[in-house]
Amino acid sequence: MKAHEASEQITGDKWEVQLRKGCLELAILAALWDGKLYGLEILRRMESDSDLIVTEGTIYPLLSRLKALGLVRSEWVESDAGHPRKYYALTPAGRHRLREMAGMWARFSSSMSKLLAPLGKGK
Amino acid sequence: MSMGSDAQQKIESYLGRLRAQLRGADDEEVREIVEELRSHIMDKAAPSGEVSSAGVDASLAALGSPEDLARQYITDNLLARAEVSRSPVRILESLFRWASLSVAGFFVLVVAIVGYVLGVVLILCAVLKPFHPHTAGLWVSRDSTGDLSFFLRLGFGSAPMVGRDVLGWWIIPVGLVVGFGLVMLTTRFALWCARLYRRSRVLPRG
Repeated sequence: MKAHEASEQITGDKWEVQLRKGCLELAILAALWDGKLYGLEILRRMESDSDLIVTEGTIYPLLSRLKALGLVRSEWVESDAGHPRKYYALTPAGRHRLREMAGMWARFSSSMSKLLAPLGKGK
Repeated sequence: MSMGSDAQQKIESYLGRLRAQLRGADDEEVREIVEELRSHIMDKAAPSGEVSSAGVDASLAALGSPEDLARQYITDNLLARAEVSRSPVRILESLFRWASLSVAGFFVLVVAIVGYVLGVVLILCAVLKPFHPHTAGLWVSRDSTGDLSFFLRLGFGSAPMVGRDVLGWWIIPVGLVVGFGLVMLTTRFALWCARLYRRSRVLPRG
């Protein structure tokens, strides 16, 4: 591989990383739309429904931040596994914020699709 | 669920390191963080009910180092607090904790302290000027080698023998505007650094 190709590859990967990071909070809130989940379930939901895979440790500080912002609340629930699990659920403010973010995402995504449409036509 | 003492020891050592890094935070908060991660590690390490030493190793490796995790908690916490209240006291509190964990945090703390102190002194100069009209303000003096030195004087005590008050009554508007501006700028700087730091820590695996 030539040097400039290698550097382009790195820039492209970096861009993808930034893109994923930017969507992480939206993805976590969206995973909670249908009901309460604990940390590992949120991670698994994100892995199965999208390829938004993050280092596992990252999600817990983020959840704690979303809680401090009042967007999610948490409760401890006893489990069959023998240890309690910390479940997260959206607060009314969190649902409201998620709707707003989803709207912004939809507008952004449709304008990007329009811009990218010519790429699909001619080869 | 059964667990070997080896696996148990590894979990405790990891959580102990995390707890040590989070010292200074609210006790209840630390307990919640530690218990949540313990529950995560057990779930990951024992999908079938048996916690093996290898399972624990894999699950700890996927979480990243306890030091890294603690830093993420602290910067995320700093950001959330600051978004709710922009109080310099709370920001400094979090910065002290961040500084105890990393060199980056230490530099941000030093810059923030300088910014806040200078800002507060400027505001105080402005506020005290009406009470100490002849002594408070921005003073300049030239020493024997001809170098200029500037002092911000709150005006307690007698007037200095050398130098002169540069701004006079202008210290009131200038001090207030520049002082409050500096405090706000310092807060924004601290938040910007924390955000930058947090982004650099959110690394996708795939």
